[in-house]
Amino acid sequence: MNIWQVLSSTWNMEPWVLITALALLVGYGITTGFRFTKLSALYILGVLIFVLALVSPLDYLGRTYLFSAHMIQHILLLLIVPLLLLLGIPKALAERALKIEPLGSAMKVLGNPIIAWFLGVGAMWVWHLPSLHNTVVANDNLYIVQQISFVLIGIIFWWPVFSPVESRRLSPLVSTLYLSSACLGCTILGMLITFAGAGLYTAYLNPADSIGILPLLRGELCLTPGVDQQIGGLTMWVPGCLIYLVASMVTIARWYGAPEESELIPNSGAGRLATASHKNK
Amino acid sequence: MSSRIPIVPENIKPLPLLKENEGMLSWVASVDHKQIGIMYLLASMVFFVIGGIEALVIRIQLAQPEFGFISPEVYNQMFTMHGTTMIFFVVMPFLIGVGVYLVPLMIGARDMAFPRLNALSFWLVIFGGILLYYSFFTQSGASEVGWFAYAPLSEKPFSLNKGPTYWVLGLLAVGISSVASGLNNIVTILTMRIKGMTIRRLPLFVWMILVTSFLLVFVIPVIASAFSMMLLDRLLGATFFTPAHGGSAILWQHFFWGFGHPEVYILILPAFGIISEVIPVFSRKPIFGYEFVAGSTVAIGLLSVGVWAHHMFAVGLGNVANLYFSLASMLIAIPTGVKVLNWVATMWGGKIYFATPMLFAVAFIIEFVMGGLTGVAIASAPIDWVVTDSYFIVAHFHYVLYGGSLFAIFAGVYYWFPKFTGRMMSETLGKWHFWLTIVGFNMTFFIQHFLGVMGMPRRTYTYQDFPYWGSMNLVSTIGALILALSILVFIWNIFVSLRSGKEAGNNPWHAWTLEWATSSPPAVHNFDLVPPVRGRRPLWDLEHPDTPDEPNAKVV
Ligand code: HEM
Ligand SMILES: [Cu+2]
Repeated sequence: MNIWQVLSSTWNMEPWVLITALALLVGYGITTGFRFTKLSALYILGVLIFVLALVSPLDYLGRTYLFSAHMIQHILLLLIVPLLLLLGIPKALAERALKIEPLGSAMKVLGNPIIAWFLGVGAMWVWHLPSLHNTVVANDNLYIVQQISFVLIGIIFWWPVFSPVESRRLSPLVSTLYLSSACLGCTILGMLITFAGAGLYTAYLNPADSIGILPLLRGELCLTPGVDQQIGGLTMWVPGCLIYLVASMVTIARWYGAPEESELIPNSGAGRLATASHKNK
Repeated sequence: MSSRIPIVPENIKPLPLLKENEGMLSWVASVDHKQIGIMYLLASMVFFVIGGIEALVIRIQLAQPEFGFISPEVYNQMFTMHGTTMIFFVVMPFLIGVGVYLVPLMIGARDMAFPRLNALSFWLVIFGGILLYYSFFTQSGASEVGWFAYAPLSEKPFSLNKGPTYWVLGLLAVGISSVASGLNNIVTILTMRIKGMTIRRLPLFVWMILVTSFLLVFVIPVIASAFSMMLLDRLLGATFFTPAHGGSAILWQHFFWGFGHPEVYILILPAFGIISEVIPVFSRKPIFGYEFVAGSTVAIGLLSVGVWAHHMFAVGLGNVANLYFSLASMLIAIPTGVKVLNWVATMWGGKIYFATPMLFAVAFIIEFVMGGLTGVAIASAPIDWVVTDSYFIVAHFHYVLYGGSLFAIFAGVYYWFPKFTGRMMSETLGKWHFWLTIVGFNMTFFIQHFLGVMGMPRRTYTYQDFPYWGSMNLVSTIGALILALSILVFIWNIFVSLRSGKEAGNNPWHAWTLEWATSSPPAVHNFDLVPPVRGRRPLWDLEHPDTPDEPNAKVV
C-alpha cells in the first residue's frame, strides 16, 4: 500500500460518532428555532471536526500505529472542537440552559476557574499516563468514554474564558494567566513525552499490523517509535501551546475593543486587584 | 549608647548631597524609589565600565593572529566575566532600576508597593556583584566556563578552582533580587495606580515592565534551582549534571536556556518600553496602534518561554524537535515585527525632532532589526549548524543587545536625565556620543558576521593567520576602541551636565506621561497634585482640554 491507499482505506464510520454528531446538530437546531447566525457556522464547524477526528484515518492510525496521530486527534477533541461548539452557542440559549437544573448549578461548580483549570490540564495528564493510554487503545468502551470526556472537559475548560454569557467570563488579564499556566501544564507534559525516550507507550511499539502498512510507516516515512513519540510530545507542546496563546491574544483584543466602563478603576493605594473585576460582578 | 546609633535621617531633599551631614547615610539607608532607582543606574554604570574593560582586553588579544597579550586562562575569565557582567549587572539592573524610578511616577503613586523589599533587591545586586568579582582574588581567578556554564565543564572534576562557585553564589543573589523586584513591580502596577489610570491606559513602558516582571517571576526560579543543583554538585558532591555518575549534562542546558531565552526578552522588553515612550514624544504624535504594541508584548512574553531549544540545535535533540523549535522561534518575529511597524508608523507623518534620545531610538530600530533578521536566520537549524559557536552568533546577539537594549538605554538616559537631575544633558556631546557609537558599534560587530561565516570560532583565545582574518579582526578591535571612546564621551557628558547643564524645568520635551507633571527632580513625595487621568496622555489632555485623546472618556 502507498500512503494514499492508506489514507483512503482507513476511514471508519463509527455509528456512535455519527449519531452523536446528528444529535448535536438537531439539538442545536431545535433549541435555536433553526435561526442560524454567523456563530452557527462555528458550531457546525465544530461538529464537523468532531466527526472528522473520529472517523478519519487519524482515528485508526492513532489507535493502532501512531502515537502522533493520537495526539493530533487529542488536541482537536480537547481544544478545538469544544472551543468551536462553545463559541457557536448563542448567549440567549446559554442563559436559558443555565436556568435548567441541575445544569445551572453544575456549571456554577465546574465553571469555577480553578476546577475548570484542573479538569482541563488534568485531562491531558491523566489520559496520557502510559499504562492508562495503553489500556484505552485496546478497549472499545473505554475509548469512547475517553473521546467524549475530551469534548466535555474541553467545554468546561474553555467556559471561564469563552462562555457565551459574559458575566461568567474571567477578566482578560486573569484569562491570560489562566491560559498561560495551562500552557505551562501541557508544556511540561509535552516535554516529558518528547524527551522520555522511545517506548513510553508500549502499545505503539509492535502494533499488530493487520493492514500491512508498518513497513511503509517505519521505513519510507521514517516514523520509528522514537520519532513518532517525539512528534506526539512536540505536537502537544508547541501547537498545543499556540492554541492557548492565540486564545490569550483574542481575550486581550476583546478587552481593548470593549468600552472602557467595564474596567474597575482603582483608587490610588487601595489594595484591590484591578483584574478581579469581572469575577465580582 | 543610643546617641551613637545613627538615626536614618528623614528625607527632605530629593537628591541629598554626599558631603552634607549624613548625606551618605541618607542614600545607603534610603527606601525611596527614586534614590534606589538612581543607585541602580549608577551601579549599572560602574559595572558597564568594568565589563567594557574586559571586552577591550578580549578585543586587544584578538587584534592579531596568535597574539600573546593575555594567557588562554585569563582570556576565558575575561569572556566569562564580560558576558555575566553585561547581562546580570548592567542591562538587568539598568532596566529594573529605571523601572523602579519611573513606574510609581508614571502611574501617579507615592512609591513602590514594598519600599524595603525594593531596597533589598538593590543591595542584593551589589552583594552579588561583590561575590562575583571577589572570585578574581581567589587562587586561580574567576570562572572560566562562560556565562552559560555548561556542565560537565563547570562541574567539580573539570573546574576545581573556586571561580564557578562564586559565580553561582553571586548570580543566586541577583536571582533572588530579580524575583523580588518582579513581584514588587506586579503588585505596584496592579494596585497603586491613581484614579483614572486604568490598565488599558498604562504608559507602554509600564505595561512592558509588567510583562517583564511576570517573566522574571516565572523563569528566574528555573535558573535559581539549577544554580542550587550546581552548587550541590560542586560543594556537596551531588551529581545532577555529571553523566559519569548518572546525572545529565544536557539537563543543565535545558535549564539554562529554559531561563536563558526568556532572559533575552527580559533584557529587551523594557527597552521596547523606552522606545515606545521616546518615539511618540519626538514625533509629536500618539503611538500608532497602542493596543497592538501592548498585545504583542504579551505574545512575545508567552512565546519566549517555549523556544529555548533553538540554543541547542547542535546538541542532537533529533530532527523533529529541531523542526518544531525552528518554527516556534520564527513565530516570535511576528509580534516583534508588529512593534517595529508600529514605531515606524508613529514616526510616519510626524514632526520628528532629532534630539539625542530620538537619534538613539531610530538607530535602535535599525540595529535591532538587523539582529532580529540574523536571529530568524539562525532559528533555522541547518543554518545554525553552520554558524553556531562562531562569531556570527556573537554578531547576532550584540546587534540585539548592544544595538537593541543598550541603544534604548542610552535613549532613556538622554530622555529622562532632565527628570532625574533637573538638568539637560549636552546635545553637542550627545551627538558626538551617538555618532561615535554608530561608527564604533557597526565597525566592531558587522564584520564579525563575515568572520563567523568564514569559520572563526567564538570563545577561543586566538586564531591562526588565515587570509584576511587578522585584518578583519583588527577592524573589529579598532571599532571597539572607538566604542570605548564613545562611552567616555557619554560619561563626560553626564558629569558636565550634572554640574552645568541647562535647567530642565518640569517638562522639557513636552511629553505627556505623568512623570513630567512633577518637578525635576521630583519632590520626595513625588506629586503635590496629580493631574486627572482621562486618557493615555494625561498631560496632553490637560493642555488641550478641547481636543482630548478620548473625547468620550467618562470624567471621573
Ligand atoms: C527574532 C528573534 C530572535 C531569534 C529567532 C533568535 C535566535 C537565536 C538563536 C537560534 C540563537 C542560538 C545560536 C547558537 O548558539 O547557535 C541565539 C543566540 C543568542 N541570542 Fe537570539 N534570537 C532572537 C532575538 C534575540 C534577542 C531580542 C536577544 C537579546 C536581547 C537575543 C540574544 C541572544 C543571545 C545573548 C544569544 C547567545 C547566547 C549564547 O550562546 O551565549 N536574541 N538567538
Ligand atoms: Cu534564544
